[in-house]
Amino acid sequence: MQEKTITITIDERGNSTLDLEGFAGHGCEKVFDDFRGGDIVKVERKKPAYYTGQQIEREKSRR
Amino acid sequence: MSKYSVNQTVLREEKYLVEALKEMGYETEVHPEGAPLNSYYSEQEAKVANIIIRRDQLRGAYGDVGFVRQPDAQFGVIKDELDEYRGYGARWLGRVQQLYKEKQTLAMARTKGYTLKNREVIETSQGEQVRLQFVARR
Repeated sequence: MQEKTITITIDERGNSTLDLEGFAGHGCEKVFDDFRGGDIVKVERKKPAYYTGQQIEREKSRR
Repeated sequence: MSKYSVNQTVLREEKYLVEALKEMGYETEVHPEGAPLNSYYSEQEAKVANIIIRRDQLRGAYGDVGFVRQPDAQFGVIKDELDEYRGYGARWLGRVQQLYKEKQTLAMARTKGYTLKNREVIETSQGEQVRLQFVARR
């Protein structure tokens, strides 16, 4: 099973990036909420595994 | 891989803001009800702040620098306009935000049960970046 990691990079201009690895589907949202800390989201992108995970969840729910 | 975002740090929590300023070498005054800032020109309108760094700690500054709690619960910085050009402008505030964000992130991760795996400081052409890597137990 892939390790779930969260990488936060904080620069000197008041910006931070949040990069999630190994998460899929709704698992991302909770981690995002945990780490956002009331910050303003400037850009948000879902990566391919996010959709793959959602597809797996949908397939499970159909069974 | 799963998700990625870019965020603008918002100063909301007094505790981490005071800790960030302390790490920069400043002793701050905290005034929940607000206290006046001293400025270079006595005739200037007195501004009120909740967290204050007095001028004697700010090398080259004309006045005190303060942070005031705004109606939306964010802290905004207030200072003499001239101090923008004397080392207390956007770059200085960015450094405050960087330290604030690191302290807030580490505290939040501890509370929520994430494990810090690695911390590194990366030199880039645009200054230092702090990279924190956590592992989710769940």
